[in-house]
Amino acid sequence: MDLTYSDADRAFREKARGWLSTNVPTTPRPAHGAAAAQFDRDWQRKQYEHGWAGVAWPKDFGGLGLSGLQQVIWYEELARARAPHYINTTYIALMHAGPTLIARGTDEQKAFHLPKILSGEALWCQGFSEPNAGSDLASLKTRGVVDGDAIAVTGSKMWTTDAVYADYQELLIRTDPGSERHKGLTWLIADMKTPGIEVKPIRTMLMDEHVNLVFYDEARFPVSNVVGQINKGWSTALSTLSFERGLGFIGDQLDLYERVCRAIDLAGKVRLENGQRAIEDAGIAQKLAGLKADALAIRAMTLAHITESDRTGEPGPKGSLMKLTVTATHKALSETVGDMLGWDFLEFDGDRASHPWTYDYLWSWVFSISGGTSEIQREITADRLLDLPRAR
Amino acid sequence: MFLAPDGDEIEIIDAAAGFLADVMPISRLHESGSADMNGTLRRQMGEMGWFALALEENKGGSGLTAVEHALFFREIGRLCGSLDVLSQALAVHVADGDLRARLISGDVGVALAVRDGGEFRLLGAPGAALALEVNETGAWLRDVSALAAETRSSLDPATSMRVSTAMPDAVLGQVDGPEVMQLARLGSAAMLIGLAEAALDLIVDYAKVRETFGRKIGAYQAVRHACADMALRAEAARCQLWFSAAAIKEGRGDAAIHLDAAKHLANQAAIANADANIQLHGGIGVTDEHDAHLLLKHAWFLAKVFGTKRALLGRLLDARVED
Repeated sequence: MDLTYSDADRAFREKARGWLSTNVPTTPRPAHGAAAAQFDRDWQRKQYEHGWAGVAWPKDFGGLGLSGLQQVIWYEELARARAPHYINTTYIALMHAGPTLIARGTDEQKAFHLPKILSGEALWCQGFSEPNAGSDLASLKTRGVVDGDAIAVTGSKMWTTDAVYADYQELLIRTDPGSERHKGLTWLIADMKTPGIEVKPIRTMLMDEHVNLVFYDEARFPVSNVVGQINKGWSTALSTLSFERGLGFIGDQLDLYERVCRAIDLAGKVRLENGQRAIEDAGIAQKLAGLKADALAIRAMTLAHITESDRTGEPGPKGSLMKLTVTATHKALSETVGDMLGWDFLEFDGDRASHPWTYDYLWSWVFSISGGTSEIQREITADRLLDLPRAR
Repeated sequence: MFLAPDGDEIEIIDAAAGFLADVMPISRLHESGSADMNGTLRRQMGEMGWFALALEENKGGSGLTAVEHALFFREIGRLCGSLDVLSQALAVHVADGDLRARLISGDVGVALAVRDGGEFRLLGAPGAALALEVNETGAWLRDVSALAAETRSSLDPATSMRVSTAMPDAVLGQVDGPEVMQLARLGSAAMLIGLAEAALDLIVDYAKVRETFGRKIGAYQAVRHACADMALRAEAARCQLWFSAAAIKEGRGDAAIHLDAAKHLANQAAIANADANIQLHGGIGVTDEHDAHLLLKHAWFLAKVFGTKRALLGRLLDARVED
């Protein structure tokens, strides 16, 4: 057991901190729409041009080949520099599609797509969930019919984040018509400009349209876009999801401590309805200090899990515990700040930059539902960590 | 950087667990007069050197670190182990010469003296001539053999309790500074985390065999999800404990802050898990013959010593940690 960073790790932190201090965008990220997507592309392009793109990717594929611990350092420095790092329009490309192509793609697929992802030229979206297949992903119905050298896709996907701005989609479809559950699926690269695709935004409680319905009406994709094998897509999808369970929320995990400290600073300034400063209220002070302990534990858990998987070479079974505690702490922090901000907390126009705490409060449900709901994370924990009798 | 027991540390855990399963099983607490360590047990533990793990070798200790100290007391906690094991392991850092040697060997016992308003609560080691007081500024070992202390009924079958209105001025040993409190806080946090883990193990084992409405109760989401929450509380507190133990070992400037967080999370995890363990067991969970109530009662005692919620959170509010 030790907390010592190697000389290489310390040097990496210095270098990252130095670069970020002069290169972090000085304007806030636009809240929504095409401007936000362009902002994300530009920030990704800048990281790419200066050799900072693909922290989680192997060197052979243009990434930095960092250890898990060095990725932790990178995200800590992003948080310190208040750089844009929260889940944005580049997330699926960098954290899902790229790692999946690296693990399962053909040489042609890698050569074409990976540089575009790293440079921010190509944005991706996910096409897994459907109107009737969310937590229970294996019940998906969107079908693909192999027709010569093309696959014709018909059906619909739902909750597709940023589909409007994405260039490509990771599309999971049923290609074996008689198949059930995890069998007979295919993982396909879908060019979003393909005729037969229609994107319909869904307005959310955040007053935005970041998620979408995507309809496919005989949309034809080349068979060469299949990643892995036809009818063996579940195995490809698992490599996508296991990467996310290991590192997908790392930025949010490490940002929490800084956000708790910012909330405590804020509590020293704002006044409650009785004229007291918020920090002088014993209830609020205790809640904030408790959240700081939670944030420290989340950082300790992150380091424990990451250094363990650096050693074994694969993500451990505790990713679900991680997501449970990060989402719960995120929500509790938002609620505590909401309590001390009074009426100001109830002003909201959908803009994250001008109303960050209210936005994050509303985001807390996106966080605890997407990527496997908290209830599903408890089920996974009961199955895989505690080995309890199966509920299903 | 590695934040889990490793190498020799795992050997310490295995050795402690094997030894303690024989001499301090939780089943002992179902017999009357089983609170605290008796003299025989104390000498057995002393012989094995368990009281002096983190004491320097030139003082008769094993010369190990805060990490091994935490690993050992987590195993103690898993068995609802006596609080006076910890008092004894702290006192060896406060005494000198022959007295230190007698404490290391378990020849003499030591109670813990906790200030309670104008009185003192004496916890554990009821026949002992010695009492240890520990706070943020130092630690004091006193001869309490002449003290008139009134025995009180203790909620916790594992810990006896006496009350005294005074404490002798004469000091047999003294250490200035926060070091003893650091080992005390770390040890009690480790015991609480072991206890939180023991509560989780009890209900997970039971949920695999107990049936209601024709199904194992572990197949019901109401039980499964509560168990997952217990696992999360134990995991978060345990990771923070390892972080703080390693931070103390390496002399990090922010070690005290991490330790405050670890004790706070351990206090919460132990009481919440002991609570859930009783509830999920159903009726059998409230019976005297079951271990579930023992864990809950002991958790309250451990949460009351060496760092309570208000003090810990009060310090944490303005504290900043390093990278």
